[in-house]
Amino acid sequence: MCRVVIFGYVYLNVCLSLTNMAASSTGAADSPASASAGPSLDDQSLQYSMILDHLIGDKRPVKELSPGVMGGLPVPVKTEEQKMIERGMESCAFKAALACVGGFVLGGAFGVFTAGIDTNVGFDPKDPLKTPTAREVLRDMGQRGMSYAKNFAIVGAMFSCTECIIESHRGVSDWKNAVYSGCVTGGAIGFRAGLKAGVLGCGGFAAFSAAIEYYLR
Amino acid sequence: MDPMKAQQLAAELEVEMMADMYNRMTNACHRKCVPPHYKEAELTKGESVCLDRCVAKYLDLHERLGRKLTELSVQDEEMMRKAAVGSG
Repeated sequence: MCRVVIFGYVYLNVCLSLTNMAASSTGAADSPASASAGPSLDDQSLQYSMILDHLIGDKRPVKELSPGVMGGLPVPVKTEEQKMIERGMESCAFKAALACVGGFVLGGAFGVFTAGIDTNVGFDPKDPLKTPTAREVLRDMGQRGMSYAKNFAIVGAMFSCTECIIESHRGVSDWKNAVYSGCVTGGAIGFRAGLKAGVLGCGGFAAFSAAIEYYLR
Repeated sequence: MDPMKAQQLAAELEVEMMADMYNRMTNACHRKCVPPHYKEAELTKGESVCLDRCVAKYLDLHERLGRKLTELSVQDEEMMRKAAVGSG
């Protein structure tokens, strides 16, 4: 029964195509009445297996598959190096590097800013009223800025890398990617201080990421 | 059937078949991989990964089903031929 259905489908397609085309070379489009009997054996008949071989089987011609050929909008062909550049810019490593640099800059700025607000440098216990020298203040700002910058850079790179990997694995772009990667990052950071701190870090960072995603979406 | 005729026929049908397959593939993969929340014009990483996989699976499916169909039609032709020879 299913064979008749398959034959009917192929036969119908072939018949429709042939009747649509003005120049039909074979002229073997029999009336649909013979569809139930399957292919007849005279020389004018259509042998589906042979046609299928040439269409989708081993004897099909090698075609340059581009949207312009197949019925879509014609698109200019991308050169190999353009494809390579695009692939590089979309890769997880590049995104992680970008987040690392961005985190470094942001952390540096943040560190310098907080050093200005929350200063504890130059405090001499013998003389509590002595103001710190400019060099001491600058050194404190530099150290704090550098320390914050490194931390932010590492956290940013880890978060971005894990988010990209999780997104590539799932194949979906939604808010859950950020939550999962927030948990991984927070867990990895907190795990150094023990398991409980790891779990807490996971939960906290995941909640923070979820809040940011909610705000962004 | 003459193989040359089969090839010519296949060449004529191929254009239409390719166009139809391309349209169906585009529709199916768009429906599956791109949710209708358009916040930006570029395809995100997840969406482009999903589209790569969708196209690969679609073409693989197309090829496998084509082979299976050819196999079944060969079998059926043999059977019909035997039946015709037996009755004729």
